Amino acid sequence: MTTTATAPVTAVARAEGRGIAGHRRSPALTLGMLAFLIYFLLPLFWLVVASTKTMGDLFASFGLWFADDFSLPDNLRRVFTVQDGMYGRWLLNTAIYAVVSAGGAAVLAALGGYGFAKFGFRGNKALFGLVLGAIMVPSTALAIPTYLIFAKIGLVNTPWAIILPSLVNPFGLYLMRIYAEDAVPDSLLEAARIDGAGEFRIFRQVVLRLLAPGFVTVLLFTLVATWNNYFLPLIMLNDPSLYPVTVGLANWAAQATVAGGSGDVVPLVVTGSLLSIIPLVAAFLMLQRYWQGGLATGGVKQ
Amino acid sequence: MNRHRARVGYLFVAPFLLVFVAMLVVPLAYAGYLSLFREQLIGGTTFVGLENYARALSDERLLGGVLRVGEFFLIQVPLMLLLGLFFALALDSGMLWLSRFIRLGIFVPYAVPSVVAALMWGYLYGPEFGPIAQLAETLGLPAPNLLGGSLMLGSLANIVTWEFAGYNMIILYAALRAIPSELYEAAAVDGAGAWRTAWNVKIPALRPALLMALIFSVIGSFQLFNEPQLMQRLAPNVIDSAYTPNLYAYSLAFTSQDVNYAAAVSFLLGVVIVAVSYTVQLAANRRRTP
Amino acid sequence: MTTPRTRWVAGAAAATLFLAGCAGGGSGTATQQPTSRPSSVGQADIDKAMRTPTELTFWTWVPDIEKEVALFEKKYPAINVNVVNAGQGEPQYTKLRTALKAGSGAPDVVQIEFQYIPTFTITGSLLDLRPYGAEALQDRFAEWTWGQVRGKNGEVWAVPQDTGPMGMLYRKDIFDKHGIEPPKTWEEFAAAARKLHAADPGVYLTNLASNQNGAWMGLLWQAGGKPFQMAAADQIRVSANDQVAKKLGTYWGGLVKEGVVSTDPDFTDQWYQALNKGKYATWLTAAWGPVFLSASAKATSGKWRAAPLPQWTAGENKAGNWGGSTSAVIKTTKNPIAAAKFAEFLNTDPDSTKMMATEQFLFPPAKALLSDKSFVDRKPEFYGGQAVNQVFAEISDTVAKDFTWPPFLDQTVNDWDETVGKALADKGDVPAALDQWQQRITSYAESQGFKVAR
Repeated sequence: MTTTATAPVTAVARAEGRGIAGHRRSPALTLGMLAFLIYFLLPLFWLVVASTKTMGDLFASFGLWFADDFSLPDNLRRVFTVQDGMYGRWLLNTAIYAVVSAGGAAVLAALGGYGFAKFGFRGNKALFGLVLGAIMVPSTALAIPTYLIFAKIGLVNTPWAIILPSLVNPFGLYLMRIYAEDAVPDSLLEAARIDGAGEFRIFRQVVLRLLAPGFVTVLLFTLVATWNNYFLPLIMLNDPSLYPVTVGLANWAAQATVAGGSGDVVPLVVTGSLLSIIPLVAAFLMLQRYWQGGLATGGVKQ
Repeated sequence: MNRHRARVGYLFVAPFLLVFVAMLVVPLAYAGYLSLFREQLIGGTTFVGLENYARALSDERLLGGVLRVGEFFLIQVPLMLLLGLFFALALDSGMLWLSRFIRLGIFVPYAVPSVVAALMWGYLYGPEFGPIAQLAETLGLPAPNLLGGSLMLGSLANIVTWEFAGYNMIILYAALRAIPSELYEAAAVDGAGAWRTAWNVKIPALRPALLMALIFSVIGSFQLFNEPQLMQRLAPNVIDSAYTPNLYAYSLAFTSQDVNYAAAVSFLLGVVIVAVSYTVQLAANRRRTP
Repeated sequence: MTTPRTRWVAGAAAATLFLAGCAGGGSGTATQQPTSRPSSVGQADIDKAMRTPTELTFWTWVPDIEKEVALFEKKYPAINVNVVNAGQGEPQYTKLRTALKAGSGAPDVVQIEFQYIPTFTITGSLLDLRPYGAEALQDRFAEWTWGQVRGKNGEVWAVPQDTGPMGMLYRKDIFDKHGIEPPKTWEEFAAAARKLHAADPGVYLTNLASNQNGAWMGLLWQAGGKPFQMAAADQIRVSANDQVAKKLGTYWGGLVKEGVVSTDPDFTDQWYQALNKGKYATWLTAAWGPVFLSASAKATSGKWRAAPLPQWTAGENKAGNWGGSTSAVIKTTKNPIAAAKFAEFLNTDPDSTKMMATEQFLFPPAKALLSDKSFVDRKPEFYGGQAVNQVFAEISDTVAKDFTWPPFLDQTVNDWDETVGKALADKGDVPAALDQWQQRITSYAESQGFKVAR
């Protein structure tokens, strides 16, 4: 693992567009990028448009423009009232699972990453390699045995079945390790030790502050992973009142396609989908200063 | 390094490792254990050694799935990484208006759950009423059946690219921002223009970040599950239960009730992923030192 | 004082024991079926159980079934039933099976479709309801539905909830426009299919969904097929490609290849759209179809009519069944009496069954309702005032009584999708696909330890 002199925190702080003498803005490039932007935003635009439509208009009117009836308020009201407000419950579940998992994973990764980065204990390299290798384990290889084990100890169909497996984030550990290597100068640690500070006090009062951008990065990316998790809750949970919003939506979507289901659920699925992505997008927008800095480290180093 | 400090190091890594062992090593060991047995509806459970693995190695459906995700990897990953690289370079060049807006706009799909992404694209692909079909109809063109057998892999590749191109862009962009200024100054002294700077300075500096993105893409491609599983509803005859190896393992465990064989299949898939990742890394390293 | 090494070894040993424990318990394999009938539970025990405060969990996907459950809770205030929608059809069975395998988390009472009963009895997961007085219920149900819930040794595995005898819904306006009479035989049906498609290439006489094993099995049932027969608990005869099956395969494969019958997957957005637009002139469906259609194809109200399925031999009167459910009790329940009585009440209490037929529009298996004027005399506008319930009530009497299902239905359905269903979708060779299907079923059955006769 090589080290460069660049401190990751400063990486984002630099002004954009350096290195080129008298760089000019290019209309052609901008237009090209805007064309790509349309591609990336088009499905979301469709989602916004579709959430304003009635069941009939969803299939009858042109998909990428509004229909005459504007039924967004009605759709929203239905999303939050059908099945005794089950959708609100799903959103809340998702938020709880995601926040607890992300917080826990970030704390574990920060402690572990710092430990691996700054303490040359025996087996350091081997253990770290083992953790990294685990990234390659297929999700199904874990899901089934985890289910069987959790069932034995009574964790199936509880929030823990979602939270516990999400606490392990090998990539987060990897990121925190290189982040800690760079952002925490050894001299600072030595100085603190000479002052007689205990290792855990040093971590709390000095290191944690320096690791903040990396911490936020791991937090956010675990948040996304848990928020968007589908497979694990799909097999772990039986009780709809425990579902996260992904499984709930997939369930609604399936209802729309099976004999005997009530035919009017498609607008619910669409509107529910739109609502489910707003919190994450907002979190990314508000915290972008942090996570972009944190990611820089992961990308530069090997 | 004294012994006390070493012990403190263990204490720092212990919480992570504890959860790691409980949530990863133990289930994995259990899966390995399960893969050595066979459980039948009639006759119960018997120890069969490596028989499940032998069966998997000659299982045409598994091989078909592996080849399909291999093809997916070869088509989708270069496209996605090139797009990500192009976006990152464009953003970093400082030649864009609205660059902040563009950057966030391209990244937004990453925050969209795959459940929702598959749902949205499923509607857009719809052969009778989807906007793509409607548009083609308006223009008097035959509507392509994006959910048909020949185009399905491409349609899936499109969804995955849509979801992750922005993520890769951000990783590469972040890495570009971290390139030390001295390198640029040297290039400027040589009188290099924007393209030559990009080629000679930026892309070499991105090598580690690209390699990492590539490895993650290997893992993502070979573990493809959510998108095909969710699209199965729309195209049940195209996406069968062995469309991808992960889908196959899931179907073996939950439809065929063959948890033991499913465990063996998952293990072999893990081996394939490690082998491909390692090959990719090896190829990248060999090119670095000619 | 232990060294780190010995501690590690001890830990590993403990882990191994733990894993071994996991593998041992909760097995889903066949258990010894009781050969002698279990002794009955006395009325005193039943009365006592129904007065004891009890929590029951009931998995079902019937919407708003809480209303019927409330009737039960009103009659037996001590018992509280917790209704859970764990998914519709297959997703629920997947969850049920994993819960059974894991040994915890399974419900007390569960909605199971007729065709899945053997899949759950082979693993010994269902409770025989005979000790709880279920045999006395026989006369209340249409004979063929009772045959579906009986086990080989006379067990009663479930109580029928609703059924799906198959008929034909057709677009009278399209038929009239092209001068087509509702076909009485499959031969007439084929001629009509050719005529209609030639007259209007945008319309198909019917859509045989390439993902719908249920409809296929119903048509096979009507044709007299017996694809799966159990000679004993561990012996199965698979005849998925016998003469009857081949007749069906050749017939439909031919029409599909000619392009006069479409094969769009059903219950997809595209299919709903096509029904509304009038792409299909008939829907070969079950008794639950009429109400379902009137909710999903509102644009076509008043244009549909119902008739029995065309027949293989003119003048005959035969039908098959597609869908319908039962209430079964899971063997691991801690409250077998309350669970069994709940399953019984839900499907036999006059108020409860009437409510299911008139509010959830489930087609009843109960004889009383099938001749109840207020049910059969309904004349919905959607069908131009035709008494469609009457049509299907009569069809219900013509369903063959001896059709049986395999003990691993998920697998046969999955294999059908990938052989026969695929051939239908690709306009391929359907009879050859039947051979593949047969081959895949037999090899699966053998790998599961069954003795297979062909």
